[in-house]
Amino acid sequence: MSGTLNRREVLSGSVLGVAAAGLGGAALGAAGPDAVAATPAAAAQGSPARAEIVLRVNGRDRLLAIDPRTTLLDALREHMALTGSKKGCDHGQCGACTVHVDGRRVLSCLTLAVAVQGKAVTTIEGLSAGDRLHPMQQAFIAHDAFQCGYCTPGQIMSAVACVHEGHAGSPAEIREYMSGNLCRCAAYPNIVAAIEDARNQMERS
Amino acid sequence: MIAKPAIPDVLREPGPGIGKPLSRVDGPLKVTGQARYAAEFNVPGLVHGYIVSSTITKGRITRIDTAAALRRPGVLHVFTHENRPHVAWFDRKWKDEDAPSGSPFRPLYDDRIVHAMQPVALVVAETFEAAREGARLVQVEYEAEPHETDLAARRHEAFTPGKEKGGFEPPPKPRGDPDRALAEAAVKVDVEYVQPTEHHNPMEMHGSTVVYNDDGTLTVHDKTQGAPNSHSWVCSVFGLSKSAVRVISPFVGGAFGSGLRPQHQLFMAVMAALQLKRSVRVELSRPQMFTFGHRPPTIQRVALGAAPDGTLQAMIHEAVQESSQFENYVEIVVNWSGQQYRCDNVRLDYKLARLDVFTPLDMRAPGAATGVPAIEMAMDELAHALRMDPVELRLRNYTDRDPNQDKPFSSKELRACFAQGAERFGWSRRNPQPRSMREGRQLIGWGVASGVWDAMQGQADARATLGIDGHLVVASATADIGTGTYTVMSQIAAGTLGLPIGNVTFKLGDSALPMAPIEGGSWTVSSVGSAVLAACERVRGRLYKLAAKMEGAPLGKAKPADMVLTDGHVALAADPARRVPIAEVMRSGGVLAIEEEARSVPYYVKRAQHTLATHSAVFAEVRVDEDLGTVQVSRIVSAVAAGRIINPKTAGSQVMGGVVMGIGMALEEETFMDHGLGRYMNHDLAEYHVPVNADIGSIDVIFVDEHDEVVNPLGAKGVGEIGIVGVPAAIANAVFHATGVRVRELPITLDKVLAGLSRRSAA
Amino acid sequence: MGRYHRPLALADALATLAGGPATVVAGGTDVFPARLGRPFAEDVLDITGITALKGIGLDGGWLRIGALATWSELAQAPLPPWLDGIRRAAREVGGVQIQNAGTVVGNLCNASPAADGVPSLLALDAEVELASSAGLRRIPVAEFVLGNRRTARRPEELATALLIPEPGPGARSSFEKLGARRYLVISIAMAAAVLEPAADGTVGRIRVAVGACGPVARRLPALEAALRGLPLGPDLAGTVTPAHLDGLSPIDDVRGTAEYRREAALVLVRRAIRTLTEQA
Repeated sequence: MSGTLNRREVLSGSVLGVAAAGLGGAALGAAGPDAVAATPAAAAQGSPARAEIVLRVNGRDRLLAIDPRTTLLDALREHMALTGSKKGCDHGQCGACTVHVDGRRVLSCLTLAVAVQGKAVTTIEGLSAGDRLHPMQQAFIAHDAFQCGYCTPGQIMSAVACVHEGHAGSPAEIREYMSGNLCRCAAYPNIVAAIEDARNQMERS
Repeated sequence: MIAKPAIPDVLREPGPGIGKPLSRVDGPLKVTGQARYAAEFNVPGLVHGYIVSSTITKGRITRIDTAAALRRPGVLHVFTHENRPHVAWFDRKWKDEDAPSGSPFRPLYDDRIVHAMQPVALVVAETFEAAREGARLVQVEYEAEPHETDLAARRHEAFTPGKEKGGFEPPPKPRGDPDRALAEAAVKVDVEYVQPTEHHNPMEMHGSTVVYNDDGTLTVHDKTQGAPNSHSWVCSVFGLSKSAVRVISPFVGGAFGSGLRPQHQLFMAVMAALQLKRSVRVELSRPQMFTFGHRPPTIQRVALGAAPDGTLQAMIHEAVQESSQFENYVEIVVNWSGQQYRCDNVRLDYKLARLDVFTPLDMRAPGAATGVPAIEMAMDELAHALRMDPVELRLRNYTDRDPNQDKPFSSKELRACFAQGAERFGWSRRNPQPRSMREGRQLIGWGVASGVWDAMQGQADARATLGIDGHLVVASATADIGTGTYTVMSQIAAGTLGLPIGNVTFKLGDSALPMAPIEGGSWTVSSVGSAVLAACERVRGRLYKLAAKMEGAPLGKAKPADMVLTDGHVALAADPARRVPIAEVMRSGGVLAIEEEARSVPYYVKRAQHTLATHSAVFAEVRVDEDLGTVQVSRIVSAVAAGRIINPKTAGSQVMGGVVMGIGMALEEETFMDHGLGRYMNHDLAEYHVPVNADIGSIDVIFVDEHDEVVNPLGAKGVGEIGIVGVPAAIANAVFHATGVRVRELPITLDKVLAGLSRRSAA
Repeated sequence: MGRYHRPLALADALATLAGGPATVVAGGTDVFPARLGRPFAEDVLDITGITALKGIGLDGGWLRIGALATWSELAQAPLPPWLDGIRRAAREVGGVQIQNAGTVVGNLCNASPAADGVPSLLALDAEVELASSAGLRRIPVAEFVLGNRRTARRPEELATALLIPEPGPGARSSFEKLGARRYLVISIAMAAAVLEPAADGTVGRIRVAVGACGPVARRLPALEAALRGLPLGPDLAGTVTPAHLDGLSPIDDVRGTAEYRREAALVLVRRAIRTLTEQA
């Protein structure tokens, strides 16, 4: 029963380019025999509610069957094997889960996956083109703008948006507009230096 | 020839890598999101556990009803003290490498509740969401008993602890007659300082993913500062053979001490995996991150007496610190005072008070970050009373021998720290008068303090394997919690074998690798680095022997002592142009790989004859809003003497991170306890304040040259803790210099500053 | 487990609310943190699909802030100087990620005593537009926020917009926030002020509000009356006295003591007024 469902999901997922590894037990194990692929509206009618949604993440469409209350962060980490976006608090208090939705930085832990259908989601895994690092990633390495690395994907996604927003004009401005991302290792001065450096490179290219 | 050392010490003339500001070798994985942390390993069939926390602080569980939780679709099992599987009985079975004396906490062991939000059940379900909802449905009834969580209420019932824990030294015996000397001193201060509870709050919450393998063995992805520590603890608690468990922890999202002991999630995940024969993940929530160890609150009295010229005549430093009801957590709080300053009449006293809290846990510079700020604030108060420059007062009482143990320091460049730090900061332009600098409504102040931390070393193993392709793999079961272990170990290995850094891979965070102690106390470069050096030196020795025996004698009659390794070649020390590629040496010797394992042991004899420590001088500039009491730290200069710095880039970051945490300690960090409930009130990242980017101004780190042949073969002391130690006092002293207000209760929040300013203007 | 609705039309949303209570979610920055760890037992109405609720714009003497307008949109919109104060507040709400998702209307409806937008909305004499299947009604923000987490919104109503009347010529506004760290912080105290200068260089009309110093943010009518007619100059801020803040009822909590809050509020009010006089 659930095995049938698994196969169907993996199949439809693979058609859409979903990595099979992304459809782990977390996504489907709980679906159970009653689960039906449902639109959000249909899901509203029954329990357990399941929404079949298409998310455009890093330029690829991915089909998911998820509880409609699943956050974008959990959808990425548990259902798509994109663990680059980090869970530091799950309450919108730390910035580690920052991703871009239609180019704007948001907290994926405070965003429902169903609410970003039809929008372009970019995570740290989709920031660089192929093997070449994004200038911000290179600058973070060059300036030692991280230590443990856990807040780093969120810092970098936030930093790229900070430059695009035009909020990286001075160190003081960068500090203000990067204050939504906590770093307990406290690489803050190096983060500011990295963003200034990357900003110059991003503006040149 | 025979007088020469068998192996030239490449570290005297740093080879490639050592001492260079290399970028982190693990950087690319971290900036692309590819570095995987403990809760990020997904395996087919993984199930999720969620911990139910107690709602009382002390008492017993009278009933647990799990029926509603079990009815929730997806919920597989609810573990409680009533149905948990068998676990070890004796306390010693529950001891880990960092355990103090006492009876370690055992999750789900019985019906007793000994601290707030104690884990009382684990709900395991097919999904995280179902487990979390199931946890909400578990009904627990309690019989509450009165609790006490207020240190001030128990301070007079405090007791003097014994040795309690490895690495802890009880205070030395009193010297002279400090009370009398204090009474007779021309100038004195006698004050009390209070410090709050703090929590580590690494960005990654503690998680464990336990993979249940087909053969019944467990592969455990744990957030830990010591994979071997977690490994031996799991085997001991659950009665498993060493080969039945492997603990892996290649990346750790910060810890600062929180990963020194196995935490609740590890026990829970292993228990569930063994019972259910399934792979299980348990991750703590952010509020649950406040349910295990913390930096303990402390009340300290410091009394100093001095002659008019500043010579210290009396020093009394007494501390009372929180511990739990079940373990005697200890840290060195007061000893530093007697070690930093020359004084004939000294009494240092350290006591513990038992409270109904979880056992405290080492947090960055444990003890020193508590005790040193107290003595360093008191020294500033004394300098002010003496009308003396606070740097001058410290130099007046400087000591080149450790008065506590009457031993020389292995090295101590604290004078140079003061000199270079003062120069960089511009200290000579300081007007000693408080409230003498202002810009508009901002009062500006400059403060100074010194810092100190032990240069410890433990026993560690490392294995080095050099392939004929020129690639070197070095392995040790240590950890990199952001400290740069991957990078500095690669540098030590590359430097020793004259290889490009790109040819070196360092492996860590795996209990199957050669043994290493828990990563903490700034001892990893010293302990593991020495083992890496030793293993690589053995590989080098074998290469030299092979080179000496090579057909055709390309290096002539050179003996190993005449050779060096450089740029992937064995070369003549006297004529480096005469050289042979390593691959050729190995090929001619008929070996595909050279593998050597080595154990580093501290220089016990030399070390016992010395006191070994890192030192710092910290200079701070603050800007205080006179109307609101807000404090901004605009500048910090931290000059550090820590022996050889293997990598100035990562070491500089370590110190900078310590400085920022010190700013947090001085101004923001405090876990508030509601003593009526016995619970922490601000257990999240919105209300437990750590500094944000905009809180931080300029931070300038100086590494002072320091040569040390006693500490270890590398001459490196480690820098993980020293960065924080002097910072809180430097800031507190700067706030006084800015405002004339002395806040003796950390953190120095705006309301305390404003209250002081109001009292001042009323007076 | 409740139902999840994400309509695309306002009428569908109102029909849902008419059918029974539901938790309304827009940016989610207040709703989700309060719910994490607990499933939604009640129904959820996600209004992010209703494009009619988007946008910020001046229309017929009113600034309309749609229910889906975010703090970032407010901060970046080309708006006249009399909105500088609330735009300053927009930059102080959480971090940029919160500002990109969180809505101005949502901040008001959540009715936290420390809501960063409310003092400015009070000082601007803003009104809330409430829609239901029965029709529209508008009430002043001062009457909308009833207490800590309590508003006058009826369960069947949806707050669809904020409407701010355009003030007289030369109007300007300011905002001051105090927290225990520089950013990403829940306010200890806030002050907002809106000035309409008189032609003779005196205070024509001034409206001042304080937040986080009581269960709801409050205007300071005694102060507003006292300032009227005074010359607009550097001395104006100094005329604010502690007695002008008598209506506040701050509490002790982990962020600060009541006594400190009272002192800080006075300083913030003075600074907000000083900013207004310096803008001239």
